[in-house]
Amino acid sequence: MRLVIDDLRVEVAGKEVLRGLDLAMDSGEVHVIMGPNGSGKSTLAHALAARPGYVVTGGSVTLDGVDLLALSASERARAGLILALQQPLEIPGVRPLDLLAAAGAAPEGLRARMADEAAQVGLRNELLDRFVNVDLSGGERKRAEVVQIGVLRPAFAVFDEIDSGLDVDALGAVARRLDAATREWGCGILAITHFRRLLHELTPTMIHVVSAGRVVATGGPELAEVLERDGYEPFRALP
Amino acid sequence: MTTFSDAADSFLAPYGANDVRRRAWSQFQGVGLPTTSDEVWRYAPLEGFTLDRFRLVTSPHAGPQSDFARHLAARGDVVRVVDGFLVESPALEGVTITTTDAESSLTGEAPLERYAGDAFALLNAAFAPATVVVSVAAGVALARPLIILNVTNSSTSFTRLHVEVGRGASAAIVEYLEGGEDALVVPLSEFQVGENASLQMVTYQRLAPSAWHVARSTGVLERDARLRQAVVGIGAHYDRSRNDAIMRASGASNELRTTYLGTGEQVHDFRTRQFHVAPRTQSTLLAKGAVADHSRSIYTGLIEIERGAKRTDARQTNRNLLLAPSAHADSVPNLEIRENDVICAHASSVGPLDEMQRWYLESRGVERGVAERLMIQGFFNEMMVALPADVAALVEADVHTALDTVEVSA
Repeated sequence: MRLVIDDLRVEVAGKEVLRGLDLAMDSGEVHVIMGPNGSGKSTLAHALAARPGYVVTGGSVTLDGVDLLALSASERARAGLILALQQPLEIPGVRPLDLLAAAGAAPEGLRARMADEAAQVGLRNELLDRFVNVDLSGGERKRAEVVQIGVLRPAFAVFDEIDSGLDVDALGAVARRLDAATREWGCGILAITHFRRLLHELTPTMIHVVSAGRVVATGGPELAEVLERDGYEPFRALP
Repeated sequence: MTTFSDAADSFLAPYGANDVRRRAWSQFQGVGLPTTSDEVWRYAPLEGFTLDRFRLVTSPHAGPQSDFARHLAARGDVVRVVDGFLVESPALEGVTITTTDAESSLTGEAPLERYAGDAFALLNAAFAPATVVVSVAAGVALARPLIILNVTNSSTSFTRLHVEVGRGASAAIVEYLEGGEDALVVPLSEFQVGENASLQMVTYQRLAPSAWHVARSTGVLERDARLRQAVVGIGAHYDRSRNDAIMRASGASNELRTTYLGTGEQVHDFRTRQFHVAPRTQSTLLAKGAVADHSRSIYTGLIEIERGAKRTDARQTNRNLLLAPSAHADSVPNLEIRENDVICAHASSVGPLDEMQRWYLESRGVERGVAERLMIQGFFNEMMVALPADVAALVEADVHTALDTVEVSA
């Protein structure tokens, strides 16, 4: 499958945050978005997932030619694009199993698949029986998001700062899980991050530098080294 | 046509002039039925309400039993109450289940003083067939919950229940109310939890949509006693439930969870009083309800702390979910604190389903309507954690069947 973001413009609270963002990727690829705070990285993630308050004012997003922006939040997920949140929400009283079944996961053997996914990212199995994200630490919530993605197997998964709140060991486990996903079901991964360490075990196909709501540079894994050495300043777009 | 008054006179004929039943009835006549000009009855659908539409019964009437009651019965030892009459009780070691005509209150007060001014409690005092007394002996730990199946097949049901849990004993009791078509159902309960004893008390009310349910319970907690109470109200046209706890000796702790679902034109009217008399006592109250259609809920809770009840910790939380624009929820927390060295907190909220939580579910591929249903179920599931494990899943599934018909339009 191919995900194409073309000239995407998004407003939040009346302010234009994305100003013509372009990005294209195929199944099985790992694309990484880096950029300074406020550059629009998270806005892209939320706009793709139809978060209320994120208003698309121009451009298009297609999934194998299907107009993603014409679909509701749940239709986008079922069409093949799911966002894992930077700060996953608590849903009191709702169990992960019921959420996943309602999201379309095959009920047969579901609990076992969840347990298998949890084991891969080092999430204690009994936490899967708590209400969604309730009484979970920040790091546990991140891993729980990866469990959901592992069970739902979307064609494309967007991770908004999956690395924040994870210690080095947990980050390694998550990176290896995502790397395996690219082969298991050809998952395309779009990861937003501030840090290079995610990329130690998850080799990016491409890195995109976002500044002032646009992609201002695109390159291979070597771009991460340049960013680490020189910072974002040389890439900063004119406002 | 015989009036309720005539029926009362013939019901009370066998009793002497000074009998507590007769005194309760004449006290009721003095008090009269409440009216909506009385603040605590403001939202009750009392207009046109008359006792003349109800008949008193002198014996229980047989009737059908629901599948749910059968399933519930399989999960514990069954006590059966029909139209207020005890008709079946199990033989259990360390537990006696009897009836008594002696009128008393576990609070130590004279019943007619304790319930003076409470019209429906007075009706119960006058017309309850007897007091059902469940007594758990000191040191006994019940292995299985006691299931009280309380069915109303007649026009009125006045159940009176006393639960006494002896020193160091522990018990879980689940009372389930069903039936009550066009009936007046007035349960009056008292629970005495002895020193270092523990009682888990669940009331699940699934009466017919035409029933009037006016319930009142009082927990009396001795030193280091624990009372965990859950009250779930789904049925009835008017569902009033007043639940009090008196923390009488130090170290006593009380947890109360009340839950209600309003549909159609229903009114759920929940009243609580957490009364701290002794030092180092605790109470936690969580009242959560959802109102749909044209229904209404009222939550009025009082935390009362006596002078000298130092280091008391009392909490009260009320959350209301509005599922339709013409549904209403009122939340009135009250505090009366006569001691400085205490922790006391209350919070309340009224609002529709959380938009961000709904989006989170939708963003995983859950369709909007399904996401809303999951969230409403979740709102109630949170309350089920207070139920005994054997019973929780069963009640949760049954509550879900009630939720399935609820329409979300707000």
